[in-house]
Amino acid sequence: MEGIVLTVHSGIKESSKRRRHFLAKKTEYFWALTFLLPTLLALIVLRITPMISAIYSSFFIAYPGGIRPAIFSGLENYRTVLSDSDFIATVERTFLFNLVINPLQISLSLLVSVLMVQRIRFEGLWRTLIFIPVLIPIVGSSITWQAILQPDGPFNSLLVTLGLKPQLFLNSPQQSLQSITLIASWIGIGYWMMFLIAGLRSVPSEIYEAAEIDRAGPIRVFFKITLPLIKRQLLFVLVADIVANFVLFAPIQLLTAGGPESSTTLLIFDAYRTTYGYGSRNLGATKVVILSIIMICFVALQFSFLREKKVKEIE
Amino acid sequence: MFKKSNRSSKSIWAGIASLSLLLGGVVSTSSYAASTLTIPATDPDTTIKVLSFMNKADIQTVLDAFAKEHPTIKVDFQTVPFNDLQPTVDARVSSKSADLDVYWADQPRVSALAARGTALDITSAFSKYRSTFDASPWASGLYNGKLYALPIANSTQMLFYNVDLLKKAGITPPSASISDRMTWEDLVVDAKKAVDSGAKYGLLFHQFDRYYQLEALPVSKGGGIGAQGKGNLIPNVANKGWIDALTWYGKLFKNKISPRGMTPEQVEPAFLAGQAAYMVGGPWFLPGLNLSKLNWGVAPHPYFKGGKAATANGSWSLAINPYSKNQEASAIFLKFMAIDGGSGYIKYRNDPELAATPEAKKLYFAKDVFATPQGKQAATIIDYETSKTGVGRVQTVGYIEFETIMNAAFSDIRNGADPGKVLREASNKLRKAWAIYK
Repeated sequence: MEGIVLTVHSGIKESSKRRRHFLAKKTEYFWALTFLLPTLLALIVLRITPMISAIYSSFFIAYPGGIRPAIFSGLENYRTVLSDSDFIATVERTFLFNLVINPLQISLSLLVSVLMVQRIRFEGLWRTLIFIPVLIPIVGSSITWQAILQPDGPFNSLLVTLGLKPQLFLNSPQQSLQSITLIASWIGIGYWMMFLIAGLRSVPSEIYEAAEIDRAGPIRVFFKITLPLIKRQLLFVLVADIVANFVLFAPIQLLTAGGPESSTTLLIFDAYRTTYGYGSRNLGATKVVILSIIMICFVALQFSFLREKKVKEIE
Repeated sequence: MFKKSNRSSKSIWAGIASLSLLLGGVVSTSSYAASTLTIPATDPDTTIKVLSFMNKADIQTVLDAFAKEHPTIKVDFQTVPFNDLQPTVDARVSSKSADLDVYWADQPRVSALAARGTALDITSAFSKYRSTFDASPWASGLYNGKLYALPIANSTQMLFYNVDLLKKAGITPPSASISDRMTWEDLVVDAKKAVDSGAKYGLLFHQFDRYYQLEALPVSKGGGIGAQGKGNLIPNVANKGWIDALTWYGKLFKNKISPRGMTPEQVEPAFLAGQAAYMVGGPWFLPGLNLSKLNWGVAPHPYFKGGKAATANGSWSLAINPYSKNQEASAIFLKFMAIDGGSGYIKYRNDPELAATPEAKKLYFAKDVFATPQGKQAATIIDYETSKTGVGRVQTVGYIEFETIMNAAFSDIRNGADPGKVLREASNKLRKAWAIYK
């Protein structure tokens, strides 16, 4: 009898504990949702809805301007853009640009970050100087660079003083994309450096001390210790940098308008010009959907890379 | 396994979320109706929103005069940068917003604006004023026989020169007489001489790489305005006249007579700073020249030897948003700006701007800027060119694409690309861009 009473009693205790736990969980979810709501709403309104709207609108053909009614056309817009040799050239150019600019920016950021965590004089000053370009609005820095790179601008004056030939930079189809790369990297290197420095600082110093005892050289330490231990930050920078460079727009719009000879027409600029320049929203939406698919593939690749490494580490 | 796929789906959604900010296509499903606009006898009590690329300070005297004559109609004057005007109008009107009443419309774009449904049919209110305007500006507001915009100004181009730089190079200044119009071929020889004698630039175009100013070159060579056929939807930019004219243009930069990389905003200051021997520019430059200490002269716009004289023309018109809730008040504003007293816009502006009506032209030529000896010569040139040699920009519903593609082509030729190749490519691009209109 006593045993039964005890069991019942503990059963009641257990169930009320579970209820309390459930209620606590419920309250926790409620507050979590409340705090997340503004972000979720912003995500839905600013990102998910336009995305769906763009995908939807890419299946219609409409007279430019966006006022006259659109007609459902299935995949016609995709057929149109994918059979356009100019668009294919733009996609190839965008790929090539990203294949060059991302490794360049990340390796330079990493190099600068490694330098910045060494015991050097005026460390704060150097770091600030490298970071300053990030603080200047991109419109301002683009216009300044335009003045610097003018055919009769200060950069060419410097080249002439050094006995070199003046260059056309933004006015040459062979140099314009490199000039854009230079401007974007001048800003990007300082920005990504900050994330990598945070990563470098989080590596425990004992590991380096141990490596020193084992007489590992600096190059070996960098590749065997530093790089593996900042992989998370490095992968974040890699993904974010790729996304940023796929949608690099301001310097192109301001400085070259896609020229000369289409040499700086990247996908995002092409989509913008189609949508807002020509007023062909549906065709513009089609181009953005294609751009998004390419970017998602790139991002998914990065994420899968991160996952594989984690599994290996656990093994 | 579950975790793996969950994570990969998460990453895809993260990707979607981070990218979709870029996307914004909205499909419209209803059409707009034609208007039966009238101008009311009494002014409504309202505020109209007017969108322009002009600084408010430059037009304040005009707005003040409007407020005096129409005190119950307030004007909320909004300014966007020149290049953003069309996208802003497109964005506001296509969302069927009544948040815009009147906007500045580039005259060659009126056909496109009308066909797209971005401009209100104003025929019923303004067709009776046809004889008030010069023929060319009036025609720029027509599409399929209906009126969609009212011109408030016109323009032309002429040749300015720096007297001191020419003297230094031993060059006889060009004549201001229409009958002694210079050829481009002779001008280039003199411009080169000026550069060789120390001028930084031989010849500047105020609007390098813009069809507005460069159209006169192929037209003078017999190449036409750039398009032909029904609705001007067949590109005609790769013919001999165009290639020859643009080859001449490309050589200016190759031979260092004109600079690469200089933007339109930098041209007038460079001429005022005494850096250029010659500059092709518009009459809006006259007040600046008069105020400067530069020793300058003026001559008619050159032409190609054996070709015909041709000059740019056209300017801005005003159009009404078809979704405006203040269409009658907007019509009153349009009438004030373009018609009343010859043209309120021309009459009350401090800076003189070439008028689109004969009556306002009298007001225009009476301004102080034409009182100097060079000003008088400029007035004769302006009067002649606007009535005899002005060539309108191509009127087509595909003008917006045309201008974008051609301006890029001019820029490429300036940067050294082969004119024939660039123009053939531009022709192909136009064909593709215009396919939607056929």
